[in-house]
Amino acid sequence: MATWLVRRVAASLAIVFAVVTFTFLLLHLAPGEPFLPSGDTPIDPAVVARLRHQFGLDQSLPLQYAKYLGALAHGQLGESFALHRPVADALGDAIPNTLVLVGTALVLELLLGLAFGVYQAARARRLPDVALGYATLFLNSVPTFWLGLLLLLVFGEALRWFPVGGVVDPVVHASLPWAGRTADRLWHLALPALTLGCVGAAGTARYERAAMLEVINQDYVRTARAKGLPERRVVLVHALRNALLPLVTLFGLSFPFLLTGAVLVEWVFAWPGMGKLTAEAIFRRDYPVVLAAATSASTMVVLGSLLADVLYAIADPRIRVHGE
Amino acid sequence: MLGAMPIAPFSPRTTALTSLLCLALLGCERRGGCTGEYCGTLVFASVGEPDGLLPPVLQSTVGRDVSDQIFLKLADIGLSTNTMGDEDFTPLLAERWEWDGPLTLVFHLDPRARWQDGRRVTAADVVFTYDAYNDERVNSPYRTGLHWISAVTSRDSLTAVVRFRRRYPEMFYDAVFHMRILPGHLLRNIPRDQWRSTAFARAPVGDGPYRFVAWKAGENLELAADSTFFLGRPHIRRLIWRFTPDLQVAVTQLVAGEADALEVLLSPDNIERVQATPHLATYPYRGNAYGYLGFNLVAPGDSTHPHPLFGDRELRRALAMAIDRERLAKSVFGGHAKVPPGPMSQLWWIWDPETRELPYDTTHAARLLTQRGWIDSDGDGVRDRNGVKLSFRLVVPTTSAVRRQYARLLQEQLRRVGVEVLIDEVDFSVLLQRVQTGQFDAMIQTWNTDPTPSSGIGQTWTQGGVGRSNYLRYINPAFDQLVEQATASFDRAQARRTWRRAMELLNQDAPAVFLFAPENVAAIHRRIADVAIRPDSWWALVRTWRIPPDRMIDRDRVER
Repeated sequence: MATWLVRRVAASLAIVFAVVTFTFLLLHLAPGEPFLPSGDTPIDPAVVARLRHQFGLDQSLPLQYAKYLGALAHGQLGESFALHRPVADALGDAIPNTLVLVGTALVLELLLGLAFGVYQAARARRLPDVALGYATLFLNSVPTFWLGLLLLLVFGEALRWFPVGGVVDPVVHASLPWAGRTADRLWHLALPALTLGCVGAAGTARYERAAMLEVINQDYVRTARAKGLPERRVVLVHALRNALLPLVTLFGLSFPFLLTGAVLVEWVFAWPGMGKLTAEAIFRRDYPVVLAAATSASTMVVLGSLLADVLYAIADPRIRVHGE
Repeated sequence: MLGAMPIAPFSPRTTALTSLLCLALLGCERRGGCTGEYCGTLVFASVGEPDGLLPPVLQSTVGRDVSDQIFLKLADIGLSTNTMGDEDFTPLLAERWEWDGPLTLVFHLDPRARWQDGRRVTAADVVFTYDAYNDERVNSPYRTGLHWISAVTSRDSLTAVVRFRRRYPEMFYDAVFHMRILPGHLLRNIPRDQWRSTAFARAPVGDGPYRFVAWKAGENLELAADSTFFLGRPHIRRLIWRFTPDLQVAVTQLVAGEADALEVLLSPDNIERVQATPHLATYPYRGNAYGYLGFNLVAPGDSTHPHPLFGDRELRRALAMAIDRERLAKSVFGGHAKVPPGPMSQLWWIWDPETRELPYDTTHAARLLTQRGWIDSDGDGVRDRNGVKLSFRLVVPTTSAVRRQYARLLQEQLRRVGVEVLIDEVDFSVLLQRVQTGQFDAMIQTWNTDPTPSSGIGQTWTQGGVGRSNYLRYINPAFDQLVEQATASFDRAQARRTWRRAMELLNQDAPAVFLFAPENVAAIHRRIADVAIRPDSWWALVRTWRIPPDRMIDRDRVER
């Protein structure tokens, strides 16, 4: 296990390095210029030239790359061209927001997906299964941003049950006691997390239904029933445990999808996370922020994948990792 | 009876729901509540986030909006936005001023003015500010506006003296408009090449009506009224900018009641949406932008040769005559834009409806094209000459719905006279790179303007602007001379006539077709009274706005 883990971590580091290199090259080779006015306001070319010099963009690409890698090795992510603050600070503000959003969405995805999948499998080919089947197919098919806009217009703008954007209410948040601030955060989290979680839950439910149906007809399940165990126990204890394996795989796969989906959800709900920060940085050609965001995101995805592999090995005793 | 009832233990579900309810109820409890005339919270829906709050290094509009509440100028432009002379300017840090000869301007600072840390604002701060704005290490984008100032000195602690290199009508404007006075005692020890990223730029101490409170990156920024502000305590106590990634999200926040003000609604759809919202009012005011279809006059990538199509003045004139600009403006902006008589926004006093322009006349346009040898020889609907089609690529940014819509309408209008337009929608940054390097045929460009035409026209339409914002490389010495005469004239009527002649010459040359000059429409919550919007800087007068106590809503009374 230890050898396998070392190999796996080394491979993960190689993947992150490749992502950094490709992102660096793509960014610098793509057309566009970082130091341009944000609006349609003329800017003195001399000001732009001095800024390019200050940030080393007038140097050769290999030299810039070498300097970037050197700084990265020392844990320095540089300074944002557009925000005029250390990239580490900008990421430090954004990453927790994204983790809260994606983490909540992941929990929602797994809980709802599992519940619906099991419920459908237990009532296979009956009306509730068919109805939920169409519903999950619909949810699985809609673009995340579209669902976000829909929820925002209905529950935010029309019914005003939930706020239409942001992490907290900027007017009252600081004046609230601790519990109130927590409630305020949860209230703002509800729509974006539901948007992201629902789409994922629909896919999870369909996987879980199929896995349960496969398991539910196995001999050991029939034996459990023959022993006179209640159906609830048969399904939730005997069948479900073995139908959980696809879910562990899905957990590893979901993380990157949730991260990419979070870009659009963060945009729609003005959620100040990694996705919004990165999208704005791409539009502004803010190279240090884009590079740091790509590095962080790839690290998180690689770690998620690693964690899924470990969980998979733990959850299924039949699976043995290489090297053991 | 009740005592005899069995008490069921709480299920986990009931416990969870009860906890959530308690949490929510606790969440509603707030401390205190503001009462009286000086309460109120104004929430701005802000598209984008400031790039800092230190005035000399700011580039973003929202950064300027916020910092203008924190830092004062010596004097400010009036509602008329007249930039000639000094009669329409309002005193701010300077309580008065006088001319000491033709090239020397003396400012007397208001002795009541204080920095928010309690120190007095002095002439030494004015001297420090000028020095900083002019310092190459600071690399201020506003430095060019100070070109004709030779020196700023202090005569005593409350008297600052500005000396100019030459006499011209906008000397006073240049002396006061570009610089926000900075606290020398707080900035002197910070290396100037680090001003963009210094901590002060994200938590400044100023001398304006509002002081900095907090900035949560990506979320919001808050200012609080300075109750001791020497020009009068602002009525609205808290200003909060909520950052949104785009205009539609900002409008949604307004409509949902989570924001109070947005400076520009831009599209007729947004305006209708706001007008249908009972708690919001719209405020139209003169816009500071204009847009045009510009033709690259030199060959793409080779500025030594004329463009194969647009090097021909008669061809450009024909295209200009084939475009129904009034109809385009009506289609895209509804009634909220005018067709400009030249490269100008509605903000500029040189706007003259009497200016002669090329008429919309498709018959004449078609005849001109035919005379130049452009005929549809193969019957494919596109004119051609010597085997070359009358076809060009039009580049527009993907981020501008207005320009993309214009591109499609122009494509259709020009198709009717046998001209093929191929639209390239590209990223804004890519567009700017392409037009700066001359790699384009035609573009739709928008410029936001200063209150004065002098700098904007010079940078974009004269020979001096080549290599700067004159992307079309339009060069006409006669036009340049007229611009120079107009900007040098102290007689406003005379200057206006000269500007008109310059614009007419430009229109005849048709390096561009001037398409729109939008009227801005702001959305502001109806509870706000005494709203005045200055077209060049929309929130500049917020300190005079108020919320009558009987119109206040919950958020106006919240104590921070």
